[in-house]
Amino acid sequence: MTGRFCISGHNPRKHSRLITGLVGGLFISLPGAVPLYADGSIIDKVYHPYVQLLEKEIEYRLRYQDDDDPELDDQQRHKLGLGQSLSDRVFAEIYLIGKNTPDSDFELSAVEAELKLQLTEQGEYNNDWGMLFELEREKDENIWEASTALIALHEWSRWIGTANLSLAYEWGNDIDNELETGLATQLRYRYSQAVEPALEVYFSEDTQGLGPVLTGVQRLGGRRKLLWEFGVILGLDNSTADASWKFNIEYEY
Amino acid sequence: MKGLNSLFLAAMMLAVPFLAQAEQMPEFHIIIKNHKFQPAEVVVPANTKVKLIVENQDATPEEFESHEMHREKIIAGNKTAKILIGPLKPGKYPFFGEFNQDTAQGMVIAE
Repeated sequence: MTGRFCISGHNPRKHSRLITGLVGGLFISLPGAVPLYADGSIIDKVYHPYVQLLEKEIEYRLRYQDDDDPELDDQQRHKLGLGQSLSDRVFAEIYLIGKNTPDSDFELSAVEAELKLQLTEQGEYNNDWGMLFELEREKDENIWEASTALIALHEWSRWIGTANLSLAYEWGNDIDNELETGLATQLRYRYSQAVEPALEVYFSEDTQGLGPVLTGVQRLGGRRKLLWEFGVILGLDNSTADASWKFNIEYEY
Repeated sequence: MKGLNSLFLAAMMLAVPFLAQAEQMPEFHIIIKNHKFQPAEVVVPANTKVKLIVENQDATPEEFESHEMHREKIIAGNKTAKILIGPLKPGKYPFFGEFNQDTAQGMVIAE
């Protein structure tokens, strides 16, 4: 038995104008001088632009830095998130962020709220598009950070290229107000659902790094699944740690 | 930093043409009923982007998923969703309903 076939008209111009406007509005006023993010590194996660209806998740991310410089060495950043889709186009997540260093034990350092918008239907255009909005507040200091990122994804058969172009603004009594841009990209090969190899590149004023990452999905039955990522990002300049190990795990239910 | 800003602007300028899309694409209708896809096999033209209109007639949600086609979409109970796939090279591309994998299995055949 085969499916019914027909031709439908489709006018994407309205969406194209909307997305072009968002893109232009986001990046039209990029500044010349932009310092670093609150913790000095943008190495974290490369977001895809998709949102699933009825999706809930618990997420944990760890980043561990290894470097000859004591100021960068043995730094750990932990991020615990709880998220839920609000519709088939909007996903919200709240994070607790903690850190520990050689000089201090683990402490909760910040909280963050995040909203992801899926702008286009998967496969509707040559690229799939999304937007990310984040608001972070340091716990013991008067420092706020608001950021937004444009998410773009392109498929070349079994290869998937993803880019997150971000713009962040920091302000508060304990920091000079500042603006920063960042670029995080991932090139992933869809080898199998269990394991997919990828290469990630991070680039901002104070972060330059690239390295291999493995990702995968483990199905647990029904709508439950475990998504994981493990990799190492190698620093390409003196302000980036020689090695930033990253481990992310998400439980979707 | 100038370099990075220039990179952003160049990327955005390059991105705009990629928003373009063909104005018409073939549509194929699939029904989910009793946790099964009907039809279970859909023949689509190869090397062409096509639209699957998936109507979930069950009261419970189902997830249309295919690693081979890089698609994943949850369809609420008694709702309809569109899933755009391709262009696909000639071949067989399995898909399944993640919430009822024992029964919800299907295949897109591109030829």
